Amino acid sequence: MTTRHRRATPFAVVAARLVACSALALSLSACTVSSSHSQYFGKVDPPSGQTLRYVSGPEPESLDPQLTTGQPEGRILMALFDGLTEYDPKTAEPIPALAERWDANADNSVFIFHLRPARWSNGRPLTAHDFVYSIRRGLSPALAARAAYLAYYIQYAEAYNESGVFAQDPRSGAFVMDPAHPDLRLVLPGDEASRAKALADPDLAAAVRGKTFVPVRAEDVGVDALDDETLRIRLTQPVPFLVALMAHHFFRPVPREAIERWGDQWTSPGHMVTSGAFVLRDWRPYDRIVVTRNPMYWDAASVHLDSITFFPIEDATTIMNLYKAGDVDAVLNRTVPAAWVDELRQYKDYMDGPEAGNEYYQINTTRPPMNDARVRHALNMAIDKPALAGYLRMATAETSFVPAGIFPDYPVVAGDSFDPAKARALLAEAGYRRADGAYDPSRFPVDRVEVSYNTLELHRHVAEFVQAQWKQNLGLTIPLKNVEWKTFLDSRARLDYNGIARSGWIGDYMDPYTFLSIFATPTGDNGTGWWDPSYVALLNRANRQHDPAARDALLAEAEAKLLDAQPVIPLFTTGTDWVKKPYVKGMYANPVSMFAWKYVWIEHDPSRW
Amino acid sequence: MLKFIIRRLLVTVPMVLVVVSITWGLIRLAPGNFYTGEKAIPPAIERNLREKYGLDRPWYVQYGRMIGNTLHGDFGSSLKYPSTSVNSILANAVPVSATIGTLAYLLALLVGIPSGAMAALRQNSTADYASMTVAMLGISIPNFVLGPLLVLVFSLTWFWLPPARWNGFSPNLILPVLTLSAIYMAYIARLTRSGLLEVLRSNYIRTARAKGLSDREILVRHALRGGLLPVLSFSGPALVFIITDAVVVERIFALPGVGNYFINACLNRDEPLIIGIVAFTAIAVLVFNLVVDVAYAFVDPRVRY
Repeated sequence: MTTRHRRATPFAVVAARLVACSALALSLSACTVSSSHSQYFGKVDPPSGQTLRYVSGPEPESLDPQLTTGQPEGRILMALFDGLTEYDPKTAEPIPALAERWDANADNSVFIFHLRPARWSNGRPLTAHDFVYSIRRGLSPALAARAAYLAYYIQYAEAYNESGVFAQDPRSGAFVMDPAHPDLRLVLPGDEASRAKALADPDLAAAVRGKTFVPVRAEDVGVDALDDETLRIRLTQPVPFLVALMAHHFFRPVPREAIERWGDQWTSPGHMVTSGAFVLRDWRPYDRIVVTRNPMYWDAASVHLDSITFFPIEDATTIMNLYKAGDVDAVLNRTVPAAWVDELRQYKDYMDGPEAGNEYYQINTTRPPMNDARVRHALNMAIDKPALAGYLRMATAETSFVPAGIFPDYPVVAGDSFDPAKARALLAEAGYRRADGAYDPSRFPVDRVEVSYNTLELHRHVAEFVQAQWKQNLGLTIPLKNVEWKTFLDSRARLDYNGIARSGWIGDYMDPYTFLSIFATPTGDNGTGWWDPSYVALLNRANRQHDPAARDALLAEAEAKLLDAQPVIPLFTTGTDWVKKPYVKGMYANPVSMFAWKYVWIEHDPSRW
Repeated sequence: MLKFIIRRLLVTVPMVLVVVSITWGLIRLAPGNFYTGEKAIPPAIERNLREKYGLDRPWYVQYGRMIGNTLHGDFGSSLKYPSTSVNSILANAVPVSATIGTLAYLLALLVGIPSGAMAALRQNSTADYASMTVAMLGISIPNFVLGPLLVLVFSLTWFWLPPARWNGFSPNLILPVLTLSAIYMAYIARLTRSGLLEVLRSNYIRTARAKGLSDREILVRHALRGGLLPVLSFSGPALVFIITDAVVVERIFALPGVGNYFINACLNRDEPLIIGIVAFTAIAVLVFNLVVDVAYAFVDPRVRY
């Protein structure tokens, strides 16, 4: 899922500053207004009946589970569509949903899901065939789903999505197998030019000589229905976290009849057929999305709420104003502005907990002086991270890359701790020293390093803090560079930045691998220029383990390797940082801020708040 | 007159095309793309997306399609919101922006003209100084300050009015309309005052007075007509500025108007949506100016087309 930081517009920036001033005044008035409920923030009037008003953040790109990538959409989609598994409301670990139970083979590369009896909102039974249809659709090149990469662990999913071809013997019909994975077919690029490049390898060229190229079809993807209630997923590699991954909205089944009838308009109210606890009643862009109870839902008896209204609002101050005035009951994560956090912490409204996400600085390791690991370590050691976290108020300092405390059994891999003296020594060792060997900051090429970050108050605060730390502890004044979001992403992805770029990651699924796999490929999200085959080998070995403890140990070993090479400077884990009224029950500060809405209810009895 | 209107309307077409062409060029210059996000997407998916939206075609094909769409008044599907067409976005958002814009301007006229006239008639009185001080404040406080202040007082301290959100014709409109209209109210009051002061000293007013007309008749029948000319010429640009100011107000008050879409469309590099909104705004600007020019002919007998 993408980190959807509210990107500040010029207007919003100015407005935010001004409103931050008025927040001061506001905090004074808060005491007088809510005197009757002094442990709660603002007005506390439960809505009549079982209706919830939730601020869901940016306007959803779509309500098609396969076309959206963001968390804000994911939250709304959780009301409309059920997956094989669901996020546990407290821990976000996978719990059974449409799948009643599942089995995996010995090396976690084939999964069998046993479905429970369930129906679509139009009454049609929901079967394993719906999952097969949905996963094939999500991978089809014509749909061009951005989240399709999540399914690349499935056999031939990537090949189908990128329009690849198999090489087949025209006489026997046998496929040429992949030399690297003898039990999988060889896949070659679909377009002639790329294929010619791939076949520059003489062994490969010899293997496919005289063979015909057949396009990879949807039916080749490793998902099949053994019968109506049994779904089999075959994978290209061991994927112990598949069950957690299946909770992602990309894998939630979509209604074939509605899609075939309405095309891309199937997500409109009146057209949409859902499998979740709610059905879509109304969708007015930038205004509201209303969902109401789905009587056909398999677990309808456990659903408390009659309806949920999602308000798509982006401006954090506006959201907090609505919340304080009692016009909304709960808001999305990362919403309480830093200036309000101290005040809000005094109230029971504030939902605080670590997120399955991290903020870090990534380093362009291809350009000097940052191509020297000692320099990277020195910069890391010279930042007092606990002080930074204290300054930010809603963050937890991290020296590890995988956020600590999110995955209960995963060991915390400690990176360098704060040590300015050692940092200076390392820089001296790296050549920035006087003739007598003492560290000399004036020799460090500060003009070749800068910290670039995308426009957001939070990122500016962090960058200024880090800059001050380096100035104070290393005597280096590293320039800061503020870049517009898409421009920033563009330069970061092309490794076209000097020194350091801000980065953040929110887990796609509840497993440390979602963080560690960033550096499993040299391209994509890596963006550091650092790539180590031995690191990838460790990750792959870990995924082949059956014993979770052994797997965690190997993943931790890989993380230690990452921290040793230091292509990244871990900074902190953000807090969940959201608020809900005391009468909203069944919502918890879980690490992904995803809520199974069927467990949420409005408690009208104040004694139970 | 009719010929003039037709000629002006015809000029609108090439002007809109020039505006969208420049916009289109600027979008291409901006780095990044609608599908870039915090998480990188594999090249294969990027290729699928580019094929789906025709971004793999040569630039002149894309440009031609954009111009064709603009001429047909059908801007296609938004890139960011794939299941929504730009036209349906405009159809939903324009009435919202039009409602707050129109109400704000009407309020500005209703308050601005009488208070300006009163100030002119009692020049240098306490009422004059008071209303001009308030007007000065209205001009100097930007709407992104005024809006939150009004919210702070009326929504969060007294809990009288909702702090944000659209609800049709409802009390939700009061604060955004007030915020949006403040600066125009102030300008109109000042323009009315200075316009009237000049007219009240002119010969034809003296003549009217010599004929024995009452003050009231002089003001309503003779003075206001000339005195309001500056207000009229201000109205053309003002209606345009109201569109851009509404961008800020819509954000502060979370209204589903064009402004919110416009900001996000630019940040998202959502080309069809940007083009659609820019074309719409360009047409609105040209039409407002035309309406003001035509209105001149009615108010000022010296103007002829």
